Amino acid sequence: MNVPLATSELTSAPSGTGARASRVPYVLIAPGALWMFLFLVVPMAMMVYVSFWTQTTFKIEPVLTLKSWQTFFSSDTYLSALWTTLRIWLMVLLATLVVGYPTALFVGLFIKNKTLSTVLLVLCVIPFWTSFLIRVLAWRPMLGKEGAINIILQALHITSAPIDALLFTELSVVIGMTQIYCVFMVGPIAFMLGRIDPNVIEAARDLGASFGRIFRTIILPLSMPGVIVGAIFVSVMVLGEFATAAALSGRKVNMLGNIIVTQVGSLKWAFAAVVGVVLTVIMGVVVAAFLRIVDLKREL
Amino acid sequence: MDDVLQIEGLTKTYGAKAALQGVSLAIAHNEYVSLLGPSGSGKTVLLRLIAGFEPPDSGRIWVDGKDISRVLPHDRGIGFVFQNFALFPHLNVYENIAFGLSNRVHAPIADGAELRARVNTMIDLVGLGGFGQRGVHQISGGQRQRVALARTLVTEPRLVLLDEPLGALDANLRMRMRGELRRIRSLLGVTFLHVTGSETEALAMGDRSVVLDNGRIGQFDRPDVIFNQPVSPNVARFLNCYNVFGGVIEGGSFRSGGHVFGFSGPVKPGAETAYVVRQDVILIQAMDAPVGARETGLSATYVTSEYTGAAFMYFFKTDDGHIVEVENHLSHRAAQDLVAGARYRLVWRADAALVYG
Repeated sequence: MNVPLATSELTSAPSGTGARASRVPYVLIAPGALWMFLFLVVPMAMMVYVSFWTQTTFKIEPVLTLKSWQTFFSSDTYLSALWTTLRIWLMVLLATLVVGYPTALFVGLFIKNKTLSTVLLVLCVIPFWTSFLIRVLAWRPMLGKEGAINIILQALHITSAPIDALLFTELSVVIGMTQIYCVFMVGPIAFMLGRIDPNVIEAARDLGASFGRIFRTIILPLSMPGVIVGAIFVSVMVLGEFATAAALSGRKVNMLGNIIVTQVGSLKWAFAAVVGVVLTVIMGVVVAAFLRIVDLKREL
Repeated sequence: MDDVLQIEGLTKTYGAKAALQGVSLAIAHNEYVSLLGPSGSGKTVLLRLIAGFEPPDSGRIWVDGKDISRVLPHDRGIGFVFQNFALFPHLNVYENIAFGLSNRVHAPIADGAELRARVNTMIDLVGLGGFGQRGVHQISGGQRQRVALARTLVTEPRLVLLDEPLGALDANLRMRMRGELRRIRSLLGVTFLHVTGSETEALAMGDRSVVLDNGRIGQFDRPDVIFNQPVSPNVARFLNCYNVFGGVIEGGSFRSGGHVFGFSGPVKPGAETAYVVRQDVILIQAMDAPVGARETGLSATYVTSEYTGAAFMYFFKTDDGHIVEVENHLSHRAAQDLVAGARYRLVWRADAALVYG
C-alpha cells in the first residue's frame, strides 16, 4: 500500500512546485498590468473613440463622424500649431544635446572621482527643488525688457537698447524648455560615458589616435544609447508641453498641448481628442525612430 | 647599442607610499622578459610609467637609445596589452585590429587594400583566421587575448608591454597561450615585457626574468639562475618553492628559534639574515632514523598534506610555530603515510641550503 502512495506523492510534488513557480511572474506583473490597462489603455481607446464623436457648440454625442478630423487638417491655426510643436521640439532637442553632451562628457568621463561626479549630477537636479511653474516664471525677470540680461548687457555697453526678442517669443520658450529638460539629456549620457572602461580609451591612445579620433570612433558610439534614451525623454516631454509655451510666449506660441488645453477649457472634447491622437501618434513615431538608431537591447 | 629599453633610477610615489624606488633596467632587442612581483610590488606601476600613461617622479627611460621620458604614450613606439584586454566593444575583430593603423596621428594607412592586407596577415598570424567579422563578445577569452595582442602588434611596436596577459584566462587556456605568446613573439622578433604574479609563468615565459621586490629590482637573470640561486630571501619567497628561516649566523652554523642548521656554501651578503632551503630537497624521516654526516635538519609536527597530482605537499609545524613545507615528487619517492600530530625528522643535505646575512 505504501508504494503507490509514495510514487503519487513523488510525481505530484514537483509539478505542484513547478506550477507555483511559474505563476509567480504573473502575480508580479498583475498590479502594474491592471493599472496600465485601466488608466492608460482604456483612456487611450476612449480618446480615439471620442475623436469621432459629433461635437456641437454645447453638446457632444456618440454619433460617429469625421468632422473633427476634417476641421483639424483643414484649419491653418491647427496645422501651424502642429508645425510649431515640431519646430520647438527639434530646437529644444538640439539645444539640450549641444548643452548636455559636453556637460555629460565632463561629468562622466573627465571627473575620475565617482563621488564628485555623483555630486555634480545632483547639482544638475537642483532646479527641480522648486515647482515647475515657478521655474518657468523665473525666466521672466531674467529675459524681460527690463530683465537681468538686458540690464547687464546695457551696463556693459554691449547693447545700447534692450533686446525685445528675449521674452514672449519662440526663443524664450526654447530657452526655458532647454533649461528644464537638459538634465534628462545629461543623466543618461553621463551614465553611458561612466560605463566606458578607462583602459579602452587608454588603449586607443596607445595605438596613436588623437583625442578627436578617439571621441569620434570610440566615445561617441559607446555613448549613443545614452543620447537616444535622453532624446526620448526630452522628446516625449517637449512634445506634450503647454505650460512653458504659454508662460514664456505670452500665449503667442501655440503648441498642440496648448490647443488641447484651450479646447478642453471650452468643452470641445471631440476636438481635443483629435489633437490628443495626433500628438500620441507623433510621439510613437518619434520614439520608434529613435529606437531604430540604436539597439538598446544590447545595452541592457 | 642593442638595448631596446633602458630605464634609469625610475621612482614613483603615491602619497606616502613609494611604489617604485630607483628602478634601473636594460632589456635587449628580440628578447622575452618576464617581470615577476607579488601584488603591491609596483609591477603594474612600472609598466604604466614605461608606457607613459603616468609620469615618473624622477628617472629616465630610453627606447632604442632615444630619451622618451617626456614623449607622449603613442609616440613611444611601445605597445600595451591590457589585463582585461580593453577591446573596443562596439567594433568587430577586424575593426579592433585595424584601429591603430587607420586612426593613428602619424602616417595613418588610408589605402584600403594595404590596410586589409596588413590586418589579415596579422589575423592569420595570431590564429584568428575566419573570425574577422565576429563581434568581440562573440568569441572566447583566448580569442579576445589574441585580438588584444594582434591589435598592438599590427602597429609594429619595438617593445610590447603585457600586463598580466594570461590572468583573465582559465588554467587550461593559460597553458596553451603561453606557447602561443612565445611563438608569435619569436616570429615577429619584437621584445616582450610580460608582467605576471605567477612564479611558474615568469620562469616558463621569460628568456630572462625580473623579480620586483618592494619597488626595487630584486633580481634580473635567466629563469634557471633565479630559481637555483635567488639573490635574496625575498626573491626566494616570491618563487614559492623555498622554506625561509630567519635567525643568526653563529660560527659555522645557523641558529633559528631552537634549531641549529648546518651549511657549507658561502654566505651571500644582504640586508636580511636568513637560511633558505628548497621544499623538494627535504626528506621526511622517523624520529629515530640515523642522521647522515653531511645532513642537517629539524624535528617538527606533521599537520596536513595536499595532493597536487605529480607531487604531495606536506605541511609541518615547528615548536616555535614556523610552517615548513616539504614537496615530495611522486616520480622520485612514493607517497608517505604520515600521522597527523606525530613528530618527524625533516633532513636535508647541508650543502643544499642557501644562507644570507
